[in-house]
Amino acid sequence: MSFRKRNVVIGTPSTAASSLPARQDKTLAPGVRPSPLDGRPTTSTGTPSLDQLLAGHNGFPLGTSLLIQEAGATDFGGTLLRYFAAEGLVQGHHVHLLGYGDAWRRELPGLDTGGKTSRMARKETAADDKMKIAWRYEALGNASSRTTPSRGQGEAQFCHSFDLAKRLESSHIQGKLYTTQVGDAWARPERTPFKDFLAGVAAAVKTTPPNTIHRIIVPGLLSPALYPSAACRPQEVLQFLHGLRALLRRHPSQITALVTLPVSLFPRSTGLNRWMELLSDGVLELIPLQHQSQMALEPGKENKSQGLLRAHSLPVFHEKGGGLEGSWSREDLSFKLSASSGLVITPYSLPPVGEEENASATPKATEGKKDALEF
Amino acid sequence: MSTTKIPPLLEPYLSLPPEASLILLTSVLGASSNWLVLRHLYSYLRASAGEKGADVGVVLVSFMGDGAFWREGAGRLVSFTHPDNNPGLCGGGSSRLIMSTKGLDLDAMGRNGRFAFVDGLSGLFTGRAADAAGVDRGSRTLRSSETDHVRSEVEAALADLRTGTKVLVIDQLDVLLAASGEDVTSTGLAAMLLSLRERVRATLLTLSADDPLLHAQATTLEREHAALVLGQAHAAGRVMSLRMLDTGTARDVSGVVRITGEGHGEGKEEEEEEEGREYLYFVAGDGSVKVFERGT
Repeated sequence: MSFRKRNVVIGTPSTAASSLPARQDKTLAPGVRPSPLDGRPTTSTGTPSLDQLLAGHNGFPLGTSLLIQEAGATDFGGTLLRYFAAEGLVQGHHVHLLGYGDAWRRELPGLDTGGKTSRMARKETAADDKMKIAWRYEALGNASSRTTPSRGQGEAQFCHSFDLAKRLESSHIQGKLYTTQVGDAWARPERTPFKDFLAGVAAAVKTTPPNTIHRIIVPGLLSPALYPSAACRPQEVLQFLHGLRALLRRHPSQITALVTLPVSLFPRSTGLNRWMELLSDGVLELIPLQHQSQMALEPGKENKSQGLLRAHSLPVFHEKGGGLEGSWSREDLSFKLSASSGLVITPYSLPPVGEEENASATPKATEGKKDALEF
Repeated sequence: MSTTKIPPLLEPYLSLPPEASLILLTSVLGASSNWLVLRHLYSYLRASAGEKGADVGVVLVSFMGDGAFWREGAGRLVSFTHPDNNPGLCGGGSSRLIMSTKGLDLDAMGRNGRFAFVDGLSGLFTGRAADAAGVDRGSRTLRSSETDHVRSEVEAALADLRTGTKVLVIDQLDVLLAASGEDVTSTGLAAMLLSLRERVRATLLTLSADDPLLHAQATTLEREHAALVLGQAHAAGRVMSLRMLDTGTARDVSGVVRITGEGHGEGKEEEEEEEGREYLYFVAGDGSVKVFERGT
């Protein structure tokens, strides 16, 4: 119990910042909190480990966009988008989707309301272990995951937890979902939806009250399954991204955008891709497992990551040229997808080579038990 | 305690350039040139009325950043250790208020005729006007991407300046080239740049010099971009290139700046200047920049 109290009392910038919305609830929209770095409003991406990644802002700064490139035919980026959309709908934000129709709403993960007690009990034991580390710094990194169970019902939550096994209930949805379908790509390959979509979002932002948050979601940009061939021309897609950037800057405390791009079709070595990266504020690259030749697949090892994640640029941080006090390192991160906790991003570390031969025989039995405890 | 706004190692390169000169700043993904543009602006505009060098006006044309971004950046060009520098408590608002009264006030300079901003972000391809809040600051907005329209707007902004010496700064002109398709070509832009350069004392350009954009040259987009950047690099008197560290990342270095061309002032020709100099730079959380040599 004393461990819990210490974590709350620490007064680290993130807990101080998250107590600010309690005072400023009238001015800040729900789901928005000021960044501990420079106070700009940030909102949650729905994935807590992604929030931590964003250059010290502990959230997705409003008025910026994030481009997620994915190699291969998997759709981890789609999962990130779904969590982003679900978080927005639960918080009461307006979500604008380009590419799919209303049926996409049925694929959103459900709100995780049950099972909190077992998770809190697990966190207690984790806290016991981690007391040996400097607890002050521990809370700094994990503030969003710690404070949500302890503050639960009283405060507005910044980031909700979702369960991929469930579907998002209409009762939990407080925001609105606007969808724009691309239209028949085969019948009219010359028409692109970009200009109409941006005009629609701009009109929606004008007509809603000034403290509503809007989230723009573009899954599978330029994917041939969705977009006509004309969309791949530089003037179409780059004008879209330029217009998106202009829209974000025009309403700097109201809109964020998340775009995914299949990078196998538009490799990072091409100029078009590089321009798309330059026009976005943040760029992340997901490299799923089967694309890595060096990564040894050891069965039963704890490191069950499903791929690598690289951050090539981060919102606000790179536009200024830098700015975080020395803790952005271009290290590789790994991600793992699970139904209960979504996409979890952790630092990637290859286990030392010598261990596998000794460890292969004995830990099989104990690790089976460990897995049972995890769930 | 106020730290210097212009890093001392860069001082010789940021002074007012000679007549009819072109300075090129290049950037890559992960090493943007915004901080260097702001320092150039500060160096040209810092003399207050009556001092020597106060007759310099600047027109800033930006295709990637809007007016608010540049105004805020210029306002923050002073950095000093503020007592409650803990942003979590004061939310950054109060410390910013104090900073902006001492930094470059681009609004006031716009009213005095020393600064003009041409917004190439808000309505370049959509053709819509900027918000009313931007209009009264005296900034212009580009409504179309045609070369003639861009040139006439920039010339009008130059005419707005009421100073004797004028400097033109164009940020990320390559966005216009990349996103406009076949209408805008690198030769057309080069011709536009030449005609604009005739009207000002000096021109500062920023362009992207990413590997995929310069070396691939397989698609029209890449070829046009390479033609523009390489052509301007050859025409420029000084080129300052920013890139990330070659060996990875470091806690106290944000990137490398390489300077080639004439540096220390007119008339000095030193052997080593031809090979270029490299410095490391670090952008801190409050926007201040430290430039230092390798090994220090």
